[in-house]
Amino acid sequence: MIDMQPDHTSVLNILLIDDNESRANAVKEALRASRYRVKHLLSSGASLLKKVDELQPDMIVIDIESPDRDILDSLHMLSNFNPKPIVMFCETQDSDFITQSVRSGVSAYVVGDTDQKRVRPILDAALARFEEFHDMKKALEDTRSELASRKTIDQAKRLLMQKKQMTETDAFHAMRKMAMDSGQKIDEVAKTLLAMLKVLP
Amino acid sequence: MFSMSVGFIPLTDAAPLVVAQHLGIFTRYGLDVRLEKQNSWATLRDKLQAGLLNAAELLAPMPLASTLGLASKKTPMIVPLVLSQNGNAFTVSKRLHYDLLTCHRLSELPFPLPAKALAEVVKMRKENSLQKLRFATVFPYSCHQYQLLDWLGSEKIVDDVELLVIPPSNMAESLENGSIDGFCVGGPWNAKAVRNNVGVSLFSSYDIWQDKPEKVLGVSDSFYQQYPNEIIALGAALLDACEWLQHLPNRFEAARWLSHVDYLNEPVEVIAPSLIGSCLRSETQDPVYIPHYNRFSGDEAMANCPTTESAKFLADKMLNAGQLTSLSVEQIEQAQKSTFRPDIFTQIQAFRNNRKAQL
Repeated sequence: MIDMQPDHTSVLNILLIDDNESRANAVKEALRASRYRVKHLLSSGASLLKKVDELQPDMIVIDIESPDRDILDSLHMLSNFNPKPIVMFCETQDSDFITQSVRSGVSAYVVGDTDQKRVRPILDAALARFEEFHDMKKALEDTRSELASRKTIDQAKRLLMQKKQMTETDAFHAMRKMAMDSGQKIDEVAKTLLAMLKVLP
Repeated sequence: MFSMSVGFIPLTDAAPLVVAQHLGIFTRYGLDVRLEKQNSWATLRDKLQAGLLNAAELLAPMPLASTLGLASKKTPMIVPLVLSQNGNAFTVSKRLHYDLLTCHRLSELPFPLPAKALAEVVKMRKENSLQKLRFATVFPYSCHQYQLLDWLGSEKIVDDVELLVIPPSNMAESLENGSIDGFCVGGPWNAKAVRNNVGVSLFSSYDIWQDKPEKVLGVSDSFYQQYPNEIIALGAALLDACEWLQHLPNRFEAARWLSHVDYLNEPVEVIAPSLIGSCLRSETQDPVYIPHYNRFSGDEAMANCPTTESAKFLADKMLNAGQLTSLSVEQIEQAQKSTFRPDIFTQIQAFRNNRKAQL
């Protein structure tokens, strides 16, 4: 097997949506000889969806004034779309205001200019922030579902103790045995038990 | 003169803003208004929240979403005035139109089309393992989204289609190149698709909901707190424009102004129809008369009043669409009350009446 390349050197595909040709070229130039590979696209609702499907970009860079922004904002509505970090160009003098306003953490990061030296670190930072945010979100979701399953197991246990006059240890062992016998997770067994025990007298 | 910026998206129902500017109504109320055309709803929202725009014409559910912090920074907004009602339509590709005709052995579809007719096509596609139909609206928090969901929901086929967002100006093109099978959008984009013979309109939003708020005036609560009198003057100017637009002969003049490159940049022949109550259907069929297609005023000015009932109506639609899942009933009710403001509307009316009495 070939060695997996470490993440920080792997090639990243960027979809760049910008009607400003000279700025797009500046970005391409700034990212030459980097791990970023840029695909440029003019604003166009129809082809954006196709391009995202085709290219499966690792990151999307878009001009905040592009009409395509509403599409990006709603891409999570499509079933086969994975969240991507999104970087936005913003040329207004008050870009700080906009930076504060665009929902932080989600994947948006706003750049003020396309200074050659700045582009790459900005993209790096956006990517890092996005990954960090997603790790955090995932950890939160894991904790939430763990808490929920613990609650279900507890409820099922109490119901078994009440209805079948079992001790706490017996109830738990019974559930664990059912889980092992049926090849299910213990919280799934607990869910089934809860549904069944509730309809029984 | 109080100088302020007001954002809008190029659509037929931006008419009240354009009329108030052209007739010098803003100036008469002591306002120096810059109308700033925006390309996307998300950017319009962000600029309004950030204070880069002082006010904006918004999709009616947007200020509620902002007050509740849905998909954006939580920024309390207020709605002092409703700017328009109705105005959307559902248009499908020639291809889906053909499928609808052949599936039902018809030579012409009824208008408005019952959702049951589409359900048959959806069923057929499922049986033949064809891809789900793809429909586009303009924004997740829009009446377009909820109107389409209501129509699809009446036959329980919401999960059998895919919904996505596409900018209004790209709808016709996306329909033509097959990226989508249909769209729900406001004027002039339905008329444009029909005129270019790339789509067929199947129903108007008036066939789904009657006279509910479509576009509203939105202002951040913090800006209103700072400049309450100026917002009341802005509301009064726009209310004058809405009333002016109720007179049918004026509508054609509005269509001419909207046609300008600074606003819609589209020919009068696609802008005028909906303004005079004509809903185009297809290249070969006569238009349908829908008097309230674009409604800017009426019901003794109550059409412009941001009532608590209309806020509740919209919030219920958002709830049905599964967009308010993480919020409590109290939070939602509180947002309805703090956002839709009939009390400010009453002040706007009183202000206008006082001025009229003085003149």
